[in-house]
Amino acid sequence: MITAEEFLTAAKKFVLISNKICDGWKLIENEWDINQSYISKETFIECGVGDDVSLLKAEYIIFYNLSYGVPSFSFNIWNSSGMLLSLEDVRQLSFISTNPKEFYSIITQQEHPLFQRPYFIMHPCHTEELLTSLQDKTANVIVTFLGLVTPLIQLKLPLEYGLKQL
Amino acid sequence: MVKKIEGLLKKYVTIDILIDISKSRLIGTMANDREVLREIWDGKLPICFQLAQEEIMEIQQPDPFYVMVPRLSYFPLVTDKMKRHFLRYISQENADSEMWLDYNGQPLKWHYPIGFLYDLCCGNDPQLPWTLTVHFTKFPEDILLHCPNKDVVEAHYMSTVKEADVLKHRGQVMSTMQKKDHNQLWLGLQNDKFDQFWAINRRLMESHGENEGFKHIPVKIYSDDGLCSQRLVSPKNNDGSRKTLQQMTSELYPDKTDVKLRTHGVIIPAETPLQWLSEHLSYPDNFLHLCLC
Repeated sequence: MITAEEFLTAAKKFVLISNKICDGWKLIENEWDINQSYISKETFIECGVGDDVSLLKAEYIIFYNLSYGVPSFSFNIWNSSGMLLSLEDVRQLSFISTNPKEFYSIITQQEHPLFQRPYFIMHPCHTEELLTSLQDKTANVIVTFLGLVTPLIQLKLPLEYGLKQL
Repeated sequence: MVKKIEGLLKKYVTIDILIDISKSRLIGTMANDREVLREIWDGKLPICFQLAQEEIMEIQQPDPFYVMVPRLSYFPLVTDKMKRHFLRYISQENADSEMWLDYNGQPLKWHYPIGFLYDLCCGNDPQLPWTLTVHFTKFPEDILLHCPNKDVVEAHYMSTVKEADVLKHRGQVMSTMQKKDHNQLWLGLQNDKFDQFWAINRRLMESHGENEGFKHIPVKIYSDDGLCSQRLVSPKNNDGSRKTLQQMTSELYPDKTDVKLRTHGVIIPAETPLQWLSEHLSYPDNFLHLCLC
C-alpha cells in the first residue's frame, strides 16, 4: 500500500517527465483534500483501417484509491458524435486480445469516486500485490502501475518514463 | 434521555419503528441490537411510478403503478413488474432500450440503495408515496451507469462489499469466504431473506485481533447535491476511546457546528459510537450511507 502523499509525490515526478517529452499528462492538485488529487490526459485515438478511419476522444485519469491504498486507472472514450463508447467497443480497441469474460472482470463501468460520474475503472483488487512484487525495481510507482494497465487499452507509454534519471 | 431523543426524532420521522431504534441503542442489549437489524431490514417505501408524458404512445393514459419496496434493495431488483405494466403504452421501437427513473427531473442512480436515494432526495421534505417518473428514451449516460441486467447489479454489490471489507479487515473476510457464501449474501438481499443474508453478513461485522473494532469504518457522506466525500475514519480516538458520530463530524467539518446526519430516515443521535453504527445501520453493501441535513 502507498499513502496519498506518496502517490502525489510520484504523480508530480511523472508529470515533470511528461512535460519534458510533451506527453500531455496534467496534475490536478486538490489543496483541501490530498486524496482527491489526480493526473489526467486527454488525447485522440485513430481507429480503423484504410478509408474507414474514425477519430475517438479519450480521457485517462489516474487517481488515488483511498480504500485500497493504490493508484487506480479510469477512462472514458467518446466517438466523433460525442457518444460514450460501450465496454465492448473498448475491448475491441485493446492492444491485446482478451475474451469478454476476462476483460469484463478487470474493467467495469462505475461511478467515479472523485467526480460522481460514470467512468470505466480497473479493479484495484490485484494492484497491490502486483505493485509490491515490482516496487523495488523501479523509481516511480505510477510508471510501474501504468506498465501494468496500458496493454489493455489504447495508451502508449513512451520509454522515456522508464529511463534511469527518474 | 430516551424521552428527549424520542421527542427530537418525532420532529423528523413519523414511523414509530424508527424511534425504537434509538431506544434500543440506548438500552444496548444484545436482543435489542438484533431487533435493530430486523427493523432496518423490514423498512419499506411506497413508490408511485408514472410514465413520462413524452413516452406515451397510446390514447389511453396508463394508470400509475404503486408498489411497496424494501429500503435496502436496488431499483433494478424491484421494477420488473412495473416495466411490464408500462411497456404496452410506449413506442415498440423503445421496448428494448434501457429504462431509467427520475425524481423531479433528477435521474436516480440505480447503484445506490433505494432508501438512501429517498433520504437524499426527500429527507428534509418527506413525500409519500414517493412519485417517480419512468423513461425508456434519452438515457442520461453522463450521469447514470448502464444496467443491462441483474448480473451488473450483483457485480456492483459484491465489489462494494469487498471494498468495505478492505477497509474493515484488510479484505481478509471476503477472501476467506467461499463462492457459495458470496452467493448466499447476494441471494439473501435479492430475495429479501433476512436469516439467509445475516448468516453470512455477521462474519463481515465481526472485529478481529485484540482491539475491538474495525480498522476503518466504511462510510460515505453525501451532501444534498449528491456529492460524496469519503475519508479514512477510525472507530477509535487517539486515546483509544470509542469515537462518536459527533467526534467524526467535528474532525471532518471543523468549521461547522451542529452537523446533522440522516440514514434509514432517522437523524442519528450525535453521541452514537461509530463502531456500533457501522455494525447495525450499514446498508447490505456494508457501507454507512449518511446524508448531510
